[in-house]
Amino acid sequence: MNYLKSSYAYWDIIYLLPKRSRGYIKRCSAFTACITLSACASFSQDGGFAVVQQTATDKLHKNVQWIKSDVDRQQVNDRNKELLAQALTVDAAVQLALLNNKGLQASFDTLGIAESDLVQAGRMSNPGFSFSRLRRGDEVEFDRGISFNIARLIAMPLTSKMERHRFEQTQRQVMMEMLIMAAETRKAYFIAVAAEESVRYLQQVKRSAEAGAELAKRMKAAGNFNSLQEARELSFYSDAALNLARADQARIRSRERLIRLLGIDQFSEENTGVTSFKLPERLPDLPDVLTLTDVKTESDEEATVINKLVVQRLDVQAAKLNTQQLAESLGLNKVTRFINVLELGGVRNTSNQQATQHGYEVRLELPLFDWGTARTAKAEALYMQAVNQANQTALEARSEIREAYANYRASYDIARHYRDEVVPLKKRISQENQLRYNGMFISVFDLLADARSQITSVNSAIDALKDFWLAQADLEMSMTGKPSMISSQSTVISVSGSAAEH
Amino acid sequence: MTNRRHFLSGMGTMAGAVAGTIAAAVTGASVSKVAMAALPEPATQITPDTMPPLHPTTGRPYNPVVTLNGWTLPWRMNNGIKEFHLVAEPVVREMAPGFKAHLWGYNGQSPGPTIEVVEGDRVRIFVTNRLPEHTSVHWHGQRLPNGMDGVSGLTQPSIQPGKTFVYEFVARRPGTFMYHPHADEMVQMAMGMMGFWITHPKTKHPLIDEVDRDFVFLLNAYDIDPGAYTPKIMTMLDFNLWSWNSRIFPGIDPLVVRKNDKVRIRIGNLTMTNHPIHIHGHEFQVTGTDGGAIPKTARWPEVTTDIAVGQMRQIEFVANEEGDWAFHCHKSHHTMNAMGHTVPTMIGVDHAKVAKEITDLVPAYMAMGDSGMADMAQMQMPLPDNTAPMMTGDGPFGSVDMGGMFSVVKVRKNQAAGDYKDPGWYQHPKGTVAFEWVGALPEAKRLSPEGTQAAPENIKPEKEIEVQIRKPEGHMHHP
Repeated sequence: MNYLKSSYAYWDIIYLLPKRSRGYIKRCSAFTACITLSACASFSQDGGFAVVQQTATDKLHKNVQWIKSDVDRQQVNDRNKELLAQALTVDAAVQLALLNNKGLQASFDTLGIAESDLVQAGRMSNPGFSFSRLRRGDEVEFDRGISFNIARLIAMPLTSKMERHRFEQTQRQVMMEMLIMAAETRKAYFIAVAAEESVRYLQQVKRSAEAGAELAKRMKAAGNFNSLQEARELSFYSDAALNLARADQARIRSRERLIRLLGIDQFSEENTGVTSFKLPERLPDLPDVLTLTDVKTESDEEATVINKLVVQRLDVQAAKLNTQQLAESLGLNKVTRFINVLELGGVRNTSNQQATQHGYEVRLELPLFDWGTARTAKAEALYMQAVNQANQTALEARSEIREAYANYRASYDIARHYRDEVVPLKKRISQENQLRYNGMFISVFDLLADARSQITSVNSAIDALKDFWLAQADLEMSMTGKPSMISSQSTVISVSGSAAEH
Repeated sequence: MTNRRHFLSGMGTMAGAVAGTIAAAVTGASVSKVAMAALPEPATQITPDTMPPLHPTTGRPYNPVVTLNGWTLPWRMNNGIKEFHLVAEPVVREMAPGFKAHLWGYNGQSPGPTIEVVEGDRVRIFVTNRLPEHTSVHWHGQRLPNGMDGVSGLTQPSIQPGKTFVYEFVARRPGTFMYHPHADEMVQMAMGMMGFWITHPKTKHPLIDEVDRDFVFLLNAYDIDPGAYTPKIMTMLDFNLWSWNSRIFPGIDPLVVRKNDKVRIRIGNLTMTNHPIHIHGHEFQVTGTDGGAIPKTARWPEVTTDIAVGQMRQIEFVANEEGDWAFHCHKSHHTMNAMGHTVPTMIGVDHAKVAKEITDLVPAYMAMGDSGMADMAQMQMPLPDNTAPMMTGDGPFGSVDMGGMFSVVKVRKNQAAGDYKDPGWYQHPKGTVAFEWVGALPEAKRLSPEGTQAAPENIKPEKEIEVQIRKPEGHMHHP
């Protein structure tokens, strides 16, 4: 508890301070200067950004840039053009977001703000100067005063330390925001690509239903269908059109969300000349082998493995540091509880009718409420609160990692099942149905209904594949911070019934 | 199972066919060799081809029949008793080239072999059950002791899998009969268990003419999903395969006769519906049923005779017109193979614009049926495995567009007596085949309708009728 010692050392200074302040403003400023010199904080070269950059490299394998100048901006624009030249990959999307997302730039700015606070904390605040002229009848009273926050001066080493914590916390927060943003971008990317794919498939469904509807109209015209049969085929078509409209709506939503995350808007002035991004036609294929298999939720070492991962998590680290910091502030309260309540100011009252008054005043807060055990109890409660919060954070982190991993495994199995079982089976069914159509066992309407059903299963397979990639993004995120775990809103498509069911 | 012992001489033509066994796709219960030791060796048929008539070499002489796509069961004489051995077992029956069915039958085939005896014969039939469930054999139409009637539970205990039962009776009445199980009958008949039985007259019979060719076959029906092998036994009416002796056109052999032959065809119906059997180019008389010969005074000429369920008919005619004469069930759906009964009519529907869109989605799609179904027989598109096309058959002038219960009576001047070999397509004398008219067509005269309807319609336009209901109030008095 070093700070305790140093605090007492400062306490001596505080004690002397009123005497010195009698030496009027000159001495004060001399003292201020002396204190300022004694403080260590100054602006760093990178504004604390290097750590963030390092994290981007380590965890995301991407570059991140804090755009501060036109040169920076130009560099980013060049890189944008490069990245946008071909169909967007998920890595390119994340890279674009890291470079262009203005929210992220804003959080980098928070870093700047936090650093200024840190530097500021290491500097003596400017002395306050007050002047008042009061008139009571003929009496005019001039009141001049100079004041500065002695408490702050005394607490400076401690507040500097706390500001350093805060700065580090901000750094962590910025990193967190960056990682979350990257994860969200990944997810938004997969959702957008899947949505585009879905639209294409639902266009096919619509075309199939359209063909059925057209044929049904002709059947009716030829007298082979009655109104009921025709109406049924037409209703498939109208359902299909509705599904397509919904899918298109989902596509636009997902694309706009991606635009917001990427910070790439072809319509914004800043991006003039930047073409809009082009999404690939298909989601990346399902990997043959899962790469993230170091989480074994079933094994005995589960706790060890997960705890190791938990420790890496930034939110857990932050919670831990928060408790330390609070412990420190608990200690700070113990030694500064007098100081905290003191505000010292030099006062000089002059009056045209009276001699100038010299003196000082000390304002005290009520020690009964804020000084004694009550204040300590609060600090302790705050501390315990932080401890409990840290506990909860760690527990949640463990659970989230487990859930994310289980979700990852399950969605992999589901996607693979779709790829290896459901879709090939549907394909076989279609082939067999084709043979049955050839043999006049089923009608062209059955064939079209089957085509719709096959397409729907392909669409479900796309959804499953998308869910896998989302789960993977969540799992990766769960190892560095809180994953959003929001599965995508699957486009719900009702399978148009088979014509044979009539 | 092989026939190692030739207990019958004169089987030369049969020998090749009797040896061997069906593919062991399905196995019945095994029967111990010891138990079989005293029994006649069971004969087995491996092909669905029409076998030549089996001329008797033992017992009383008779003029044998020809079983269409079938055969006659050999027997042995044992102290003056004719001994047959029927083995009820799962079989693989080729119903048409390229289409096999997993059926139950007797001695390697469905239907089972025809049993031919002579009036007054004492007949002993060993029935071995190699099915997975019990069975029995009912001798349809026979006069016999009640305990030999083969109704399981009623007149005998059923024959359990692996067991052999003996039926013995005197064939008292000459005529046309059949045999089939009377145990789990619905299933076993849906699976193809049935066979023909002929009792030839001992001496010249006043109502039973001697004929040159005597054909027999059973009408049966199956419901086998396209691509499947086993009949759906629960189907009651909506069968998709209408067969003669478990064969469908073009798998049914022609009935080959020599010009001026007196021909008898005996037909039994074990399907769930009636079949109007129709011959082209000749008139026949129904000369007998499973109830016996019909008095000559009660016969009348026909070209079609309806055979109801569970009935047998024997028809006779003199084949005095040369040619390839169609012979079929007159229910037109019965001369088709499997089809989708719910496929809508496409006639008159212009596919032109739609077809392209459909092909985008279903690349192998081809528009069919817009001018009828015959294009189906010509397109020859791939079908599900093990499926006979709905309509098919290549005749000398093109597609026959047939299936199911359809065959051809081939009458030829120079077909040798006793020769049942297919003589090929009929060579028509010059100028005796319908031909295309290429000359000018006179304007067809259309008659203006002269009739009027029998009565004017009395349906009046619907009008909203306001119904006022008077609720009973107080005490209602009759006037």
